[in-house]
Amino acid sequence: MFNMSLTSEQLEFQAMLCDFVTNEIKSESIKPSRLEPFDKPLMKDLLNQTSELGLRSISLSEEAGGVGADLMTSCIILEELSVGDVDIAITLSQTALLAGLLFDSWMTKEQHDLYISNFLSDTTFHLAYVGHDPDALAGWNYHTTIKEEHIGSPFATKLDENLIINGAVNFVTNAPIASLFIVPVSFEGKMTSLLIPKDIAGLKIYPAIKTAGKEQNRWHHGTMSRVEFTNCYVPIGDCLKNSDNGRDFSTRNIIQRAAINLGVGRVAFETAIEYTKIRRQGGADIIEHQAIGKMIADMAIKLEHARTMIWKAAWVLDNPDAVIDSNLSNLPLHIIASSFTAEVITDVTHLAAECFGAMAVMRDMPLQKYVEDAFIFANSDTNNLSTKLRITEAIVQSDR
Amino acid sequence: MDFSFSDDELNWQNKARDFARNIIDPISVERDQIEGGFDPFDWSIIEKGSEIGFRTLAVPTEWGGPGTGFVTQALVMMALAKGDSGICKAFSQNWKWSHLIVNACNDEQKKRFLTEFINDHRYMLGRGITEPNAGCDNRLPPDNDPKAGYRLRAERDGNDWILNGEKTFIANGSVGSLFFIDARTDPNVDITKGGTLFLVHKSTPGFRIGKIFNKAGWRFYQNAELIFEDARVPHANVVGSVGTGSVKAAGGDTTGGDLFGDLELAANAVGICDDANQMAMLYATKVECSGKKLVDHQLIQLVISRMNMLTEALRSFVLRVAWEHDQGKRSANGVLMVNYSTDVVLEVTKLNMEVHGAHGCRNNPRVDKLVRDAMIWGHLAGDTSLRLKAFSKLDQGIGLEKVKT
Repeated sequence: MFNMSLTSEQLEFQAMLCDFVTNEIKSESIKPSRLEPFDKPLMKDLLNQTSELGLRSISLSEEAGGVGADLMTSCIILEELSVGDVDIAITLSQTALLAGLLFDSWMTKEQHDLYISNFLSDTTFHLAYVGHDPDALAGWNYHTTIKEEHIGSPFATKLDENLIINGAVNFVTNAPIASLFIVPVSFEGKMTSLLIPKDIAGLKIYPAIKTAGKEQNRWHHGTMSRVEFTNCYVPIGDCLKNSDNGRDFSTRNIIQRAAINLGVGRVAFETAIEYTKIRRQGGADIIEHQAIGKMIADMAIKLEHARTMIWKAAWVLDNPDAVIDSNLSNLPLHIIASSFTAEVITDVTHLAAECFGAMAVMRDMPLQKYVEDAFIFANSDTNNLSTKLRITEAIVQSDR
Repeated sequence: MDFSFSDDELNWQNKARDFARNIIDPISVERDQIEGGFDPFDWSIIEKGSEIGFRTLAVPTEWGGPGTGFVTQALVMMALAKGDSGICKAFSQNWKWSHLIVNACNDEQKKRFLTEFINDHRYMLGRGITEPNAGCDNRLPPDNDPKAGYRLRAERDGNDWILNGEKTFIANGSVGSLFFIDARTDPNVDITKGGTLFLVHKSTPGFRIGKIFNKAGWRFYQNAELIFEDARVPHANVVGSVGTGSVKAAGGDTTGGDLFGDLELAANAVGICDDANQMAMLYATKVECSGKKLVDHQLIQLVISRMNMLTEALRSFVLRVAWEHDQGKRSANGVLMVNYSTDVVLEVTKLNMEVHGAHGCRNNPRVDKLVRDAMIWGHLAGDTSLRLKAFSKLDQGIGLEKVKT
């Protein structure tokens, strides 16, 4: 039966996080001393504090020692976290999502037993996926023969009981802080995924990409860096039993990122409302002017639509039977939700910035960062001009 | 109708294009990436441009300037802004206030200040209207609140005026030599009756620069607080008459520069759009995706076409308004044009970002810079108060007559 109400556990978690984010994270993330410099290193102490709430293991099953939350609950949590700090939200979303997939389905029992206790006990234990969305180019391949693209993936050759890995991947989220890497490699014409600990010989993890200086690169969220393999020997026993070339990870990652993007829009919206209640021009608080009132209504409409789409898409990924039984359309709802969210959140942050007046473009104020954050989501590896064509491809496939 | 340019207009356009290509463009991103509010600024760029005439372009020939018209000024701004929008603005900000000196000041003031301005390559001009609690109210003062608008106080003391208060976000604030300052000479009536316009030199006792703002875009261009603590300004520096309202003293100006202010921003926007269009085309013809050049994908072709369509429409609007200004015509077109430029510059730079995608944005910080520069328009030229001002300038009476007919 159609039911949009949250469970008491979801509401409780949401309220607890809202307090934590407001009191601990947001107060730090919007300090002028952090906002103003280009370089914004990951706030590791706050990340660890947040991890202690159990957020690294939200997607991990209860049997394995996690929270056992479904994807929709993860999205609720990530939206709240992103209101505080988008980088902490991205970092935890990667680890939490990978933990659920790895320990609950991708690992063999031996691999699971080897790593699970360390993962659960060490709040600084993070995970990184050293690969790309296998469908990232599908939109650009519209109406042509779609081939799985592994351009740029590391490749493996076999020697005795080892695979020798060579190659490199740039812009790997969580790489600078990860203890364990999941690495899809091209081996004998197919993709296989390996489990690689950070201290293995032949693996080089570059320092986190900086956002200041000559090598600066501001176009990312979280912490990321280049990961390079040079004759890196990995035992064949470290192959994952089934990772579906990361497709499940990519699909869920897209919807989680949309939820984090939604948090960016929400904090911009809330910041604008606070300001319009105290800024007085034209003989009244500016929220009393029709022009501002309309902007706020437009923002609310966009945020509510995005949230509804994200929750629905997340729920469907956990309940595929609803599609099989034809209760819901057989469309890539995660792409629809993500594309829609990316578009409307850039609108929302711009409207919020306009409410903020000239203060919106000052680097010691938060609005300019929210605008930039929304742009990064809108032009990312999972969102670009071609992404929408993945929806059309799905429509065409279903017609065929 | 004649859309061709004169030799003089083309000559200035070519000078600006050369300067943008050879001097501005090579340092544009580098200056943008420097931390801080003041540090992205570089006097050597101002001096080099000033030697060619870009600082004093709007000064009439009788006062020692090149005496260019609005069409020439628009062409030069489009060309300079293609190199760097913020650097272009640092130059054209001087044109705005030299226009005002010529139009609103008496001959003694013109001689005193334009002579200094012409002779010093580092002499920059500004105007202080905005205060922490007075932004939109300066443009559209509310009927129900006579205290709304700027509050900086000016009190007469013999042949001087004593100014107390502060201005904020003032363009060229940290590098200006001379500022128009809007002050209250009568705090009991609204600013249209109790406001007076003063000329304040940076050497004025009691005057100093406060915070220099660190902006997301237009990073070269300076915005600062101006602080007045018993600043003593001679009565000879009053523009027009005391208590006529600074807007009236400035010949009707409410946005800064009267006729020029709207044109300045819209022409600058064209330069950014030209830059974005060129970047998008270069990237799309260079980078391959899924077995063919980006430019061979219909998605990209549609985007680049739209970018160019919007840019050319804006260019036509800008040149039309510049021509109207040269003919001395006043209409709502100026403010409508600047509203339009706000929408266009943001859309075109965002589309350029889409053409570049994540890979292009990561590898070329100029993509992101253009959007950050364009964002300034929404808080300057195209904010809600200016869109409402555009409505107020429309000829509503004629519209009603037409409906009746």
